[in-house]
Amino acid sequence: MSIRIHTPEGTIDRPATQRAPAPATLEGVRIGILDNTKPNADVLLRSAADALCAATGAQVVRTDTKNAALAAKDQVLDGMTREVQVVLTGSAD
Amino acid sequence: MIELPDESPEAILAEFESRGWGDGLPLIAPTAERVDLMLGGADPDEVVAVLAPRDGRADRRAIAVNAVLAGCRPDTMAVLVAAVRALAQPQINLRGVNATTHPVAPLLIVHGAVVDQVGFNGGLGAFGPGNRANATVGRALRFVLLHIAGAVPGAGDASTQGQPSKYTYCVAENEPASPWGSYAASVGVDAPSAVTVHCGENPHNFHDMESASAERILGKASSLMTTFGANNACIATGEFFVGLCPEHARTIADAGFDRGDVAQWLFDHARRPAGEYRAHFDLRVWTDEMNAAADDDLIPPTGQVDNIKVLVVGGAGKHSCVIPSWGMTTSVTMALDT
Repeated sequence: MSIRIHTPEGTIDRPATQRAPAPATLEGVRIGILDNTKPNADVLLRSAADALCAATGAQVVRTDTKNAALAAKDQVLDGMTREVQVVLTGSAD
Repeated sequence: MIELPDESPEAILAEFESRGWGDGLPLIAPTAERVDLMLGGADPDEVVAVLAPRDGRADRRAIAVNAVLAGCRPDTMAVLVAAVRALAQPQINLRGVNATTHPVAPLLIVHGAVVDQVGFNGGLGAFGPGNRANATVGRALRFVLLHIAGAVPGAGDASTQGQPSKYTYCVAENEPASPWGSYAASVGVDAPSAVTVHCGENPHNFHDMESASAERILGKASSLMTTFGANNACIATGEFFVGLCPEHARTIADAGFDRGDVAQWLFDHARRPAGEYRAHFDLRVWTDEMNAAADDDLIPPTGQVDNIKVLVVGGAGKHSCVIPSWGMTTSVTMALDT
């Protein structure tokens, strides 16, 4: 005999977020680097940024660091929002 | 609600496995009747917490569903609800706890009258198997993390190796055997019953069956606190829970130590030369004082004595433990709802 049961996940609190549209071109775009300070994150992110800039004419205008285990400070996120159009971030161990 | 083809344990296990739910072990089917019993008349829509990284809404219904799945008895629900509320406090840093590659798991410690009322075990084998309340409430808390918080290995939990305490990690404080009274009261939560959530590693055992000296016993705890392998070795905010067995605690208390003295002794003696830490770690989250230390200066593995927490757990015998935290998290002690 079949039975009905509750599902365990509950609901999600936040409204669904939309991804920002990708820029049509990186030419002239201002890039920010958000380094999570994991080993070699700075090397990886800077190398990727340099390659992007060389290929497209984009510019790195801001670099910030954050602790990998904590969220970036509002001040950093606000600054990024004001000053750059694309942020490069993320690196694990 | 979902429908299962039959009532068999195999049917629910297969369904949960296919959906990526559960912990791989058998489950109790959360039927409406069982969930209602678990709720005990409480408002099912009351949101107890919102849990990262999924931003899952832990309302009482969802908590009760996970409690049923884990095999909890309804009289443990108040403990589970308090634990969920504690997990969501910002100092826990649940997003980091769930997302890190470190194996960290929330240890739930139960204090006060509810220990005996419900039958939690703070005595012999407290961290081990055989007690339903410990096993199922710890498991239910893990289910809340897996299902509601989204701490699914891979997508929401990057732990490189995991650790056994990610299945269940719940003990009671052995307050009757404590020479220093209740741990909860010592951190300012003077309530009939309370819970502490400490996000840490598995217990690191230390053994001393021969010492009548407090210092010789605590020296073994200090050696565990200064291992380079612990994640919080170079994180000044890192906490260390020191779980003393009753016999060790009695020996130490008889030597004149109170709870604060134990923490202070460990803070003063669990030390290594700063240069050894520098030689082993490039990344350090230290206080200004630690950063200013000369290489030969002895420094502790944590920034302040209050990060060393002392309580009594376990039964007869002479084994105690140190439970280092993940590092970027601070334990929370909260009263149960009355």
